[in-house]
Amino acid sequence: MNELREKAKDLLQSGTVKVIIGYTGTSDPYRTKPFIARTAEDADKLVFNNYCVNNLAVYLTRKEYKQNGIVGIVAKGCDVKAIIQLIQENQINKDDIYIIGINCNAQVQELGKEFGSETIATKCLNCFVRTPRLQHTLIGTINELPKREDVHLEKLKKLESMTSEERWEFWEKEFERCVKCYACRQVCPLCFCDRCIADKSIPQWIESSAHKRGNFSWNIIRAFHLSGRCIGCNECERACPSDIPLSLLNRKMGMFARKEFDYAAGMSLDAPTLVGSYNTNDRQDFIK
Amino acid sequence: MEEKKFEPKIAAFVCNWCTYTGADLAGTSRLKYPANIKMIRVPCTGRIDPLFIIKAFEKGADGVLISGCHPGDCHYNSGNFHARRRWILFQELLSFVGIDSSRLQFSWVSASEGKKFVDIVNEVTNVIKEKGPFEKYAKINREFVIDE
Amino acid sequence: MDEKLINAENLSLLVSDLLNEKHLVICQDEKAVGWKSINDAGKLVINNAGVPSNISYKEFILPKTEPIFFFKNEKENFNLVEKDPADQKMIFIGAKPCDARSIEIMSKVFNWDYKDKFFNKRAENSIVIGVACSYQDEFCFCTSVGLSPVTEKGSDIFLIPLNEENYALRIVTDKGKEFIKSYEKYFSDGNTGASKAVLEKINIPAKKFDTLKVKEWITNNFENKLFDEAGSICIGCGQCAFACPVCHCFDIIDEECSYTCGRRMKNWDACQFGQFTLHSSGHNPRNNQSKRYRQRIAHKFKYYHDKFEEILCTGCGRCSRGCPVGIDIAKVAEEINLSANQA
Repeated sequence: MNELREKAKDLLQSGTVKVIIGYTGTSDPYRTKPFIARTAEDADKLVFNNYCVNNLAVYLTRKEYKQNGIVGIVAKGCDVKAIIQLIQENQINKDDIYIIGINCNAQVQELGKEFGSETIATKCLNCFVRTPRLQHTLIGTINELPKREDVHLEKLKKLESMTSEERWEFWEKEFERCVKCYACRQVCPLCFCDRCIADKSIPQWIESSAHKRGNFSWNIIRAFHLSGRCIGCNECERACPSDIPLSLLNRKMGMFARKEFDYAAGMSLDAPTLVGSYNTNDRQDFIK
Repeated sequence: MEEKKFEPKIAAFVCNWCTYTGADLAGTSRLKYPANIKMIRVPCTGRIDPLFIIKAFEKGADGVLISGCHPGDCHYNSGNFHARRRWILFQELLSFVGIDSSRLQFSWVSASEGKKFVDIVNEVTNVIKEKGPFEKYAKINREFVIDE
Repeated sequence: MDEKLINAENLSLLVSDLLNEKHLVICQDEKAVGWKSINDAGKLVINNAGVPSNISYKEFILPKTEPIFFFKNEKENFNLVEKDPADQKMIFIGAKPCDARSIEIMSKVFNWDYKDKFFNKRAENSIVIGVACSYQDEFCFCTSVGLSPVTEKGSDIFLIPLNEENYALRIVTDKGKEFIKSYEKYFSDGNTGASKAVLEKINIPAKKFDTLKVKEWITNNFENKLFDEAGSICIGCGQCAFACPVCHCFDIIDEECSYTCGRRMKNWDACQFGQFTLHSSGHNPRNNQSKRYRQRIAHKFKYYHDKFEEILCTGCGRCSRGCPVGIDIAKVAEEINLSANQA
């Protein structure tokens, strides 16, 4: 932690960065929250541990951080994937940010519980970006992780083995609880549209009401807009107050993009994006 | 009391330059095709947002047909290539959520393929007729309706 | 006051009776995500010792989406069809004091300059069976807003769990009295000694802040930078407003519109949404998250109290527990209190 604080202090004092977006502790040892450090004094409040679940890349597309000096950001592997995807999509400039990369030793699935083999986040079980793929400085060391079953993969396999009717019933029951709080959208670093299609009212494409039809429309379109772009931080699922298994939708589309197009989001700074490009040899056996 | 046979409502999003013209050719050649199909002309299949498909189901369509130029023949060069990629992803997503892939059909029909258009429309209409009304969406469409 | 006893078996039979009479029996779901109406007495959950559900039971009194009228345009006629809320009794079982007060607090604004029939009809049809709460975590702060784990105000009937099988019952309102009378056979006479003993064992947490001091500070510190801390990390989702048992802002929109028909819907809205105060001119008076967060705190602790002498908060802590970025409303109020003391 000291390494992080020293580095942050140095960056702020030397004027290399204007602010550093990082995590700070709370009165609960099993919780941290996002924190904007602006002075050397603030830098002493920065922390990094197994409770830094937030994907801070969501703040990078905010107006106050654009063209206002270099923004420092404390980022673990999954967060850096989001940053790479944002750079790939021309939403932020690589030169406008300073990534303090962290060698991450996994996070908890739910804040407030002690980190261990029961509480390690499902997304961390098979992480291959323990060392972030892009950083300006790297802090920390990699240790071995506790293991447990990949419950999401199990659920996915179960869903895939169901009939179409059963799947509809499953999702109907899940989406019924949606309250349209848009926490999933707001917490997602890749939902950065200035005006989301759901907010367009003339014409109203996605109904804003939280009834079944409006909920289906919203969740399906959001899953589609994230296909090939979601980097799997699972923040959407964590933020959802109704406990809707959003990670299943996004993971399914991520796995499909890999299988069908050999494409994974957040891996390459200059590769063309999945839906923004095409291949003349794309599959067309389903087209008459 | 004779029961009315189910006549599906099929929304067809067709591209102006190829399929729409092909459908027009079917008309001028006096070829008949079922009236179940309601055509919506767009400049190119690349214009088609998957939102349109969801909207069509919300408005009561039992099936959706999307048709455009053959790859390589797009009037705007690559619109249909972009569209094809979107459809691959969207079809997978819909099937994962429990919407049968038979409710959403795609075809390439060029401006000279009037006969092919008729064949496609017949095929799609029959498939959807067989499948029956799209009850799943009909149910959620009826959630807040006044009693007649 | 009147006190009765009921055992778990009779409670189950009572619930079955209520269900047979086609009333809605609503309790927390097993996973503590929200409240739902049950169709089987076996599914009854009385959560007096667990964490409050992520979302309150507000959606039964103020639905997350509801049609307020339908319209049809016929050739000669224009028809407006109003849809009144169903005349169905709703019995909420197991409401902690922080939940039980929600209907009373919200009814002030819904009977202010306009008597909202949608809210009032539902509130009239509700019976709240509260329960003494033995849960406490770092996010709870009911005692700071004038409540406590054993407050009976807000419930029609208040349950006090004596042990695994038995509850003492205190009748708080006339509505509660009527209810007990109708199902008399399930209750036996109370034992005030036993219930008192249980209540005394419940820990009443210390107050975290003084609401009057907080209100005064807000009145005099509108432009204070204190709100920037939350504003800088708040992501502007609606979780806090939607989970809250007393937040009540709504959006009116028209749906399903064609020339011939449509319906007007009343949906939940949140002052934290970026477009909440967006004018059609394009101007947005609350154009950053700090201003929006200031509105939330000011509304809850000052404006609502100015108008109705009620704090628009029951201290349940749902907003803080569920906040994706860990903004804790009690901590913000504590900070304000500290600031007020230093002044």
